[in-house]
Amino acid sequence: MSTLSIKNLYVSVKGTPILRGVNLEIKEGETLALLGPNGHGKSTLLAAIMGNPSYTVTGGSITLDGTDVLSLSVDKRSKEGLFLAMQYPSEIPGLNSADFLKSAMNAHREKPMKLFEFYNSLQNAYAEMQIPFEMSKRNLNEGFSGGEKKRNEMLQMLLLEPKIAMLDEIDSGLDVDAMQIVAEAIRKQQAKGTGFLVISHYARLYDMIHPTRSAVLINGKIAVTGGPDIIERIDKNGYEWIHDEYGIDIEKEIDAPMNTVSIGACATKSKIVNGK
Amino acid sequence: MLAPLNQKSSMENKFSKTITYVDDIPDGLVLDVKDDTSLLLLLASFGSLSDKKITVNVGRNSSFRGVFADFSSSSFNFSLNVNLNGEGGECEWRLASLSRGDNKKVFEPSVTHVAPRTQALMSNYGITRDSSYLTFAGVSAIPHGSVKTVTRQEAKIIVFDPLSGGRASPILRIADNNVDASHAASVGRLSEEHLFYLESRGVSLEEAKRLITLGYLKPIETYFDDDSIKARIDKAIEGGL
Repeated sequence: MSTLSIKNLYVSVKGTPILRGVNLEIKEGETLALLGPNGHGKSTLLAAIMGNPSYTVTGGSITLDGTDVLSLSVDKRSKEGLFLAMQYPSEIPGLNSADFLKSAMNAHREKPMKLFEFYNSLQNAYAEMQIPFEMSKRNLNEGFSGGEKKRNEMLQMLLLEPKIAMLDEIDSGLDVDAMQIVAEAIRKQQAKGTGFLVISHYARLYDMIHPTRSAVLINGKIAVTGGPDIIERIDKNGYEWIHDEYGIDIEKEIDAPMNTVSIGACATKSKIVNGK
Repeated sequence: MLAPLNQKSSMENKFSKTITYVDDIPDGLVLDVKDDTSLLLLLASFGSLSDKKITVNVGRNSSFRGVFADFSSSSFNFSLNVNLNGEGGECEWRLASLSRGDNKKVFEPSVTHVAPRTQALMSNYGITRDSSYLTFAGVSAIPHGSVKTVTRQEAKIIVFDPLSGGRASPILRIADNNVDASHAASVGRLSEEHLFYLESRGVSLEEAKRLITLGYLKPIETYFDDDSIKARIDKAIEGGL
């Protein structure tokens, strides 16, 4: 059984510490609801596990079945069985969705898939996510609505069958019907034994996928862990009770520094060669 | 409005006349698109290209589409001047250029809306590799009196390698108010966010770069019907990666 183990993890964004000693374990077959106020590091944790270069791990360890995840490149983390459904999936101009999915699926195999096998898998996944198959010919996420992008993320999860899937607000931008489709995809993977680490601000998704455990991330640390009952408590009462019961002061949102923006001549751009 | 490079064009796909030059692009070429006709000019370059200047005069209710798949391996200055001389005239220009080695390529695809109620889209996509430098500096000019014209200049360059560079400077010269004019330029390295997204699905960094580059250059192929030219473009893109 696969286990993702996070020990004493410290992560900074542009020099600002966001995670300050996170300890967490997710096993295959478990579904962990990751809760916490905005800006306390939930998305940072998922991004750092997947290896987003904007996030710097300054201490601690992440292992998957004993393999040092932090020493692996992003693509190798995926091949080891990690998957991140992103809150804001990138739109890639000109990149055909089907071409991309073929590259991704083949990257997870020793021998490239046969074309027939690939199209069969693709058609099934599009049908399951109730996305018109025509959309496989469109550029990856380009011009997709918020809901279509989220369903497209889940489609990729179905095709790649990860050991541990991390979902970052997969329910944002989804209408009720789309939420059902996404929940069904999650339940299908749960039945296959995939472990889930799920961030959501709404109890509705959790009601549909029945997390086995909960963890609350506050001030860059796991403040509370427990059963799924914590979800209901937070949904009804917010986070104040954590202060009352555990004596934890909830800091205001931890702000990462903003990107530097420069405005140049109107519609004229040039790249300076070699830093000069 | 005419569609961007990677979308299907709104311009009628049947042309009265098609002229194709593969490699042997003449210098000083002057083309006249007579009233109520249309012309498709297809250019593809895979070898060494020298300086070129092309002029196109477009008449009333006429269409000109120019397409250039540039995979040449030399330094040059390419200048295109389209004059929309008659009302209802249309121009669509599509360029995809891959610049390698120490080549310095300058493209100046320009359009002048001589007559009112004309429209033009000038779309230029490029990738620079090694220590090459690419310049897109087209001018869309709307003289006084050319009202109800629609014009757009797009110039996008991906700077692939640390020593390569690019400049995208689409210029609008507008002398009347009643027009719809826009321009867009971007020059930058491959987006880290895009690479991370693709890599997070198991695609290697090299493959991710290849996929993004393909997405940038391959759409030019859709404007060519000839399979042998399409195959050469494919080969040139793969070779460039």
